Amino acid sequence: MSPAVKEGTIELVELSKRFGDVTAVDGITLHIPGGEFFSLLGPSGCGKTTTLRLIAGFERPDAGRILLDGKDMAATPPHKRKVNTVFQSYALFPYLSVADNVAFGLRRRREPREQIRRRVDEVLASVRLDGFGKRRPSQLSGGQQQRVALARALVLSPSVLLLDEPLGALDAKLRKSLQLELKALQQEFGITFVYVTHDQEEALTMSDRIAVMSGGRIEQVASPEEIYEEPGTVFVADFLGISNLMNATANGSGDTRCRLRLGDFELVACRGDLQARGEARIVIRPERVRVEPYATDGSGENRIPGMIERVVYLGSADQLVIRLATGDTLHALQINDGMPRQYKQGMPVRVHLPAEALRVLHERPPAP
Amino acid sequence: MRRLRDWWANPWGKPRFLVVVTWAYIVWSIAPVLIAVLFSFNKGRSRSVWQGFSTRWYWSDPTQSVLHDPTLRGALEQSIKLATFDMLIAVPLGVALAIGLTRWRGYGSRPVNLLMLFPLVTPEIVMAVSLLLVFVTLYHIQLGTTAQTLGQVTFSISYVVLIVRGRLLSIGREYEEAANDLGASPFAAIRLVLMPLLAPAILASFIVVFALSIDDFVVTDYLSSDASTQTVPIRIYSSVRGTTTPALNALASLMMVTTLLAITAALLLYRRLSARERRPEQAAAVGDIATLEV
Repeated sequence: MSPAVKEGTIELVELSKRFGDVTAVDGITLHIPGGEFFSLLGPSGCGKTTTLRLIAGFERPDAGRILLDGKDMAATPPHKRKVNTVFQSYALFPYLSVADNVAFGLRRRREPREQIRRRVDEVLASVRLDGFGKRRPSQLSGGQQQRVALARALVLSPSVLLLDEPLGALDAKLRKSLQLELKALQQEFGITFVYVTHDQEEALTMSDRIAVMSGGRIEQVASPEEIYEEPGTVFVADFLGISNLMNATANGSGDTRCRLRLGDFELVACRGDLQARGEARIVIRPERVRVEPYATDGSGENRIPGMIERVVYLGSADQLVIRLATGDTLHALQINDGMPRQYKQGMPVRVHLPAEALRVLHERPPAP
Repeated sequence: MRRLRDWWANPWGKPRFLVVVTWAYIVWSIAPVLIAVLFSFNKGRSRSVWQGFSTRWYWSDPTQSVLHDPTLRGALEQSIKLATFDMLIAVPLGVALAIGLTRWRGYGSRPVNLLMLFPLVTPEIVMAVSLLLVFVTLYHIQLGTTAQTLGQVTFSISYVVLIVRGRLLSIGREYEEAANDLGASPFAAIRLVLMPLLAPAILASFIVVFALSIDDFVVTDYLSSDASTQTVPIRIYSSVRGTTTPALNALASLMMVTTLLAITAALLLYRRLSARERRPEQAAAVGDIATLEV
C-alpha cells in the first residue's frame, strides 16, 4: 500500500458478476478516493446493488478485482473486510434492543464491556438517538430504525460505509431531512460513503461524485453539476429528469460549433460531441429553452416556430409542452415569478434553443 | 313472522348460521373425548355404564390401575421415552437439513427438496413395512426402542424441515449478511442471529414431533419387539378384544393431558419469544403451530 493512498480508497478493476444468463455487472472500472461521498445511480436492475454487494463481499466476482486501500479483497470474507453496510431493509436484529444491535459488532471484536457501553452511547448520540438504547427496533419509527442501522455500522469506525437505498422506505419529507443528516455525518466521520440510489435528486444533493449505471455498465462518472449540466450519453440525459431529446443530422466540422439539421431547420450546437457526423441525438434542458412570442423576428440563430400544446402548472414554474414545426415535442420551463402568464394553449410561439445549451450526445459511453 | 325473518336475515347481524355450525362441530368432535375421559373415573369395571366417581383406575386399584399395572405404566413410559428421543434427534437434524437445503443452489437441489416431502405422502403402512424390512435384513438393527426411534425420526424430520424451511424463506439472507458485515463469522451468524430468529419455528417443530411420536401407531408397532416396547396406542389397540377396564380410558386420558400440557407450555414459551420482536411475519409461525397441530 502506497503511503499516498488515503484510507478508504476503493478500486474496482474490470469487475464482472453474472447470475445465470444475466450479467448484472459488466466489467466495471472505478476509482473512489478515500473520504468521498460516491453515489451509484441508476434504474432498478442496472447492477448498482450487485456492485455494492461485491464490495461488501456478499457476492463473489466472476472476473476483475476489488482493492481496498490498495489491497486485493478476493480472499477476504465479508466479516473480515473493513467495510460496513446499511441495508435497504435495515436488517436490525428484532430480538435485540437498540443498544445491543449497535453493540453487536463491538462484541464480536471482544472489546471490553465498559468501552463498548461508552462507544454505543457516543454513536447513538451522534445519530440523535440518545435514550433509545433500551427499546426494541419494532418500537421505533422508520426514520429512527434507519438511524440505528447507521449507528450500528458507524460504531465500528469502518473506512468505507456502503449504503443500499437507505432512505428508500421513508416518506418524502423525512428523506429530505435525512439526506442532509447523512451528508453531515459523512463529513463528520470523514469516511468513504458508497451510496446506491435510483433517486436522481438524492444523488445530486449529497454526492461528491456520481456514477450513472445502466445494464451493468457505467455510463458516466462525474460531479453532480457535470452529470446534470453535461450528460455524456443519451441514457444519462434521459435518466436525470425530463430532457428534450431529438433526432438530428449532425455535420460536425471539428471547430467549436457543430452544425445540425433538425427537419427543415439549421441549428448550431456548442456542447457535447462537436465532431459528430450523420445521425445524432441532441438534448436541451427544459429550463434552458427560451420561448418568444411568434411576432418577434424569427431570423436569429436556432429559432424554430411551434405551438403551445399544453400548459402544466408545477407550482414554482409552468411547464410548456410545445409542438415544433419539425414535429418534435419540446418541454420548456417558465419560472413562476409572479408576472401574468404570457402563453396559453394553442398559441403560436418561436422557440429559441441557445447554441451554448444544446448538446450533441452519444448513444453509449465511448469505449475507453 | 316478519320479525323472525328480519332477525335471521339481517345482513348486519352476527353470522348466526356459521356460529351454529361451528358449535355443532365442536360438540360433535369433543363429546366422545369427554365421555372417554369421564369413564376413566368410573367406580365399576364398565366403560359404558356410570357407577359413581373414583380414581381407582388411575392409582387406587392395587393391580389394575395405570400406576400398578406394569403393562399400562410401561406403555405410557415407552410413549414418552420415544417422543423424547424423537424430539431430541429429529429437531436438530431437521433444522440443520432445512438450513442446508435452503442454501443449496444447483443441480440436485430441486429433486432433493421434493424428496423431503416423500415421507409425508407415503402411506404409513408402506413406510412401516419397508423400514422393518431394511432394519431387519439390511442393517441388522434390533427391534425395540432403537428401531422405533429410528423409524419415528425418519418421518418426523420431514415435518421439521417443512416448518423450518418456511420460516427460513421468510427471514431471508439479509439478517445473516448483516451479522457477517458486523464481523460475525458464518458460524457465529447462525448461532447469534439465525437461531434466535428461528426459535418460533424450532418450538413449533418440537410440538409437532412430540405429537407425531405420541400418536404414531403403524411404524411404532411394526418396529416394536415385545410387550415391553408397546406404546399407549399399541397397548390400547391390542387390548380391545380382551377384557377391558376403565384403566384404558385412564391411560388414554393421561396421554391426552400430557400432550395438552406440552402444547400449552410451548405456546406460553412461544408467546414470550415473540413478544420480544412483534413483527408481522411472526404471525405466520403461530399459524405453523395451529395448522400442523393434531
